[in-house]
Amino acid sequence: MSTDLPRNQHIIASGLISAVGITVAYTSFTQEPAGAFVFPRLISSVFAVLAIWTFVKAVLGCSKVGAGISGVEMRNMLPGLIVTLIYAFWAAKELGFYTATTIAFFILLTIYDPAPHNAPMTWIKRVLITAGFIAVMYGLFAVLLNVFTPREIFS
Amino acid sequence: MEFLFYMGDVFTPINFGLLLLGTIGGLILGATPGLSPTMTVALMIPFTFKLEPQQGLILLGAAYTSTVAGGAVSAILLKIPGAPANIATTLDGHTMAQKGEGAKALQLSFIASAIGGLFGVFLLIFLTPVLAQWALAFGPSELFWLAILGVTVIGTLDSSSVVKGLLSGCIGLWLATIGFDDIMGAQRFIFHSSVSGGINVIPALIGLFAIPQVITMFAKGPKGTDAEIIVVQHHPIGKAFNEIFSRKRALAIGTAIGSVIGLIPGVGGQIAGLVAYDQSKKMSSESAKFGTGHPEGVIAAESANNAMVGPSLVPLLTLSIPGSPTAAVLLGGLLIHGIFPGPTLFTQYPQVVWPFINSMLIGQILMCVFGLLIAGWAANVARVPPAVMAAVVLGLAVFGSYSVQHSMGDVYVMASLGLGMFFLERFGFSAAPLVLGLILGPIAEANFMQGAMIANATVGQMAYFFTGWLNWLLILIVVASIGYSIWMELRQRRYTTKEDAQA
Amino acid sequence: MRNWIAGAVIALTAMAGTAMADGHGDYPERPIMLMVSYGAGGATDFQARIVTMTAGNEDALNMPVAILNKSGAGGRVGWNWLATQAEADGYTLGAYNVPHFIAQSIEGGVDYSTDSFEPIANWGADPAVFVVAADSKFNSMSDVIAYATDNPGGLTFSGAGLFVGHHIAALQLEKAAGVELAYIPNNAGGAGAMRAVIAGEVLGGVNNLSDAFRAREAGTVKILGVFDLERNAFIDDVPTMMEQGYEIDNASVNYRGVMVPAGTPQPIIDHLAAVVPTMFENGRVASRMEAGGSPMHIMNREEVLEMWAQRQVTLEALLADL
Repeated sequence: MSTDLPRNQHIIASGLISAVGITVAYTSFTQEPAGAFVFPRLISSVFAVLAIWTFVKAVLGCSKVGAGISGVEMRNMLPGLIVTLIYAFWAAKELGFYTATTIAFFILLTIYDPAPHNAPMTWIKRVLITAGFIAVMYGLFAVLLNVFTPREIFS
Repeated sequence: MEFLFYMGDVFTPINFGLLLLGTIGGLILGATPGLSPTMTVALMIPFTFKLEPQQGLILLGAAYTSTVAGGAVSAILLKIPGAPANIATTLDGHTMAQKGEGAKALQLSFIASAIGGLFGVFLLIFLTPVLAQWALAFGPSELFWLAILGVTVIGTLDSSSVVKGLLSGCIGLWLATIGFDDIMGAQRFIFHSSVSGGINVIPALIGLFAIPQVITMFAKGPKGTDAEIIVVQHHPIGKAFNEIFSRKRALAIGTAIGSVIGLIPGVGGQIAGLVAYDQSKKMSSESAKFGTGHPEGVIAAESANNAMVGPSLVPLLTLSIPGSPTAAVLLGGLLIHGIFPGPTLFTQYPQVVWPFINSMLIGQILMCVFGLLIAGWAANVARVPPAVMAAVVLGLAVFGSYSVQHSMGDVYVMASLGLGMFFLERFGFSAAPLVLGLILGPIAEANFMQGAMIANATVGQMAYFFTGWLNWLLILIVVASIGYSIWMELRQRRYTTKEDAQA
Repeated sequence: MRNWIAGAVIALTAMAGTAMADGHGDYPERPIMLMVSYGAGGATDFQARIVTMTAGNEDALNMPVAILNKSGAGGRVGWNWLATQAEADGYTLGAYNVPHFIAQSIEGGVDYSTDSFEPIANWGADPAVFVVAADSKFNSMSDVIAYATDNPGGLTFSGAGLFVGHHIAALQLEKAAGVELAYIPNNAGGAGAMRAVIAGEVLGGVNNLSDAFRAREAGTVKILGVFDLERNAFIDDVPTMMEQGYEIDNASVNYRGVMVPAGTPQPIIDHLAAVVPTMFENGRVASRMEAGGSPMHIMNREEVLEMWAQRQVTLEALLADL
């Protein structure tokens, strides 16, 4: 069963982890004050050794677990991933939580809801679900818990 | 038996109303991602300003017990552990919910919580003086060995390859060192301003568990998500009780480990669930089924995390030392009413302390009843279409991680860790050992540094870390745990994917 | 389902309604956040919750104050956040602990100094005390120092961390008594440091007066000396360090109060500086603080500015020897 594993993907993934491990180890051994880096040195050494071991195994084609990501999955998740990234890293702060969540929620529903896009009922349903979710979030976080989220674009 | 004398106080109309409010409110807040039991209790403190001491503490006691159990709801239904205590619950609980057994998983978790919780509170009632000594026995050297014991669990926890499990653990240990170090105050690995305060455990938990699941739903695409229709199975409550009592071993291991580890100041609450899960997996005759939606996993994890509630208050009530963050918040709740915990607490303020303890007993039962009532209905969450589910979980993850510290940085950390974890999972790494590393890192490091400082000033490091029966007991368990993992590895050559184990 | 939509619309308009006014005449027009750089349940957090409980009253700020905990590394995490990331709009306040943040800024490695913040008012002063376990053989500071003289560097004693009030007190003691001591900073704050004393892991400890007072009531510790200029009303039988022959002033006393990030509009600072001290003087606040064993010490903005400047000088001199 190891033959159908995406060997190249494993090499890239474990290569990246090894790079992180080596960087972390290098940083731990060069930073000051040394007293604060005793523990990081210990764990980063183990980290780097294990990561390189995994990398070597991947190169030799011996990675036994993990199915990788197929091309179809990649295509499917790409739009959702882009929305997620924009939402979490930009929109939530710049547009305000409630505005950004409303937009992201609605777009995600539109992309991933299998219902036909040409029926008016589909759209009404999507709007209602989005409004319901935002109302619950507002009630819970803004009214009940008094969480001060970044200010909305309207203000 | 003094607690029975004050039992009546809990059932006066106002007090019982507060008890109900605390229980139901606690369940709902506990199920909200981002709200740990500590935060929930802290949020309730202002309400007690206006109440009598007795009433205020009844509210807090009920809220504390039920938030711990409430965390299991989001862990099972959404795969978002509300607090570190619920991590182990997601491993089997969420898998059960995906198979349509959500009702069963919830029922088992509530019954196991109540049984473990009642046991823990009875320990608090009857064995407090003995337990107080036990809580004091854990100094820096013992806590260091305990953390190492936790680390040895990493390799075998929910991972199909020991090397990748250990590597996940190392990544977690490294993430834990980011930010200021706790003893020296030096900055370490701050590569972006979002992590200048270190990586907060709750946003990390939300990201590591919830986000990969959201992306997995994306990866199936609109057509793929339509194809799976989950039939939510009805599960009678009676059967849940039978199931629990036919799995006595998991229940006993969970309750015992939860009560013993829960007592250890600062450490217990966070790792009790995972240690209990791991131990019951090792001792179970069906250990291969763990991680694939096995009821024993849920029972062990949930009985452990509620069993810890009672004992975790022992150091606070007897020695006036808060042993856990939640206990520290409860201390504030007591002080506001001018009540000083300590050995004289039970003689000076019996009319406050006993109703408080009783409220935790009755709260456990109410929580169980209420939980069982909603379990069948709540399980329908699994029928929510994946498109809606993905969007809901994403929204909750962003709001939940923000609300912990009102910090955008936490949202970025949550999203980055989540994205990274999705890819890591696809290459055989898992979130549970990574999170365990994240939790254990600071405990191991700070106690090692402190122990070393004390040792250097007194007897020397070798003598300090290797004397005392408790140190040796922990070292022996560490050795046994490593030995067991190696033995299992050699026996099975655990090179099977999780898919194979399911088949 | 209609209600949901209505709810959402209300939600959005409500957000739009919190428009920022250019003048500050209406300040405050929404709830205010008070950042506490220690965990929920700690002494600073607990006292901050009490002193702000009347903020919603009409004669106070007329808006509730919500506590936000940003704990870690002895307070550095929270103060760094307040100095660099918090909005200086008057809606984000912070609790300060002097000498902690000043000592940390002198030591370095943080992004704040006294110039990063504007004080508003002080609510409490919690002196450091020296505690030993109830069954300890030490009965006075001279016993402790005698032991330390016989075992240089062998007297282990705990405190809440490095460059916090407890550490300052420890340094002062070392200097005044002319002995070498082993200060063990605890990662779990004052509560962890107290636990180490009671469990006998260390021979003694520096801790907050309020916590030590409770522990003595519980019968688990003895208090041997107060690091302040005068005895304290909560424990008036315990002599000061000065009375026991050690030249130690009040540099380590933990002053707690409210500040805002530098850059906050002056009218808002003035408004807060006028209202907040009166809020602290509320009778309900005083009785709750008293009940919790927390000494109060109210100071206005000018007095705090002076105290900060004075501490800056004292601490620079003390830490220069390190």
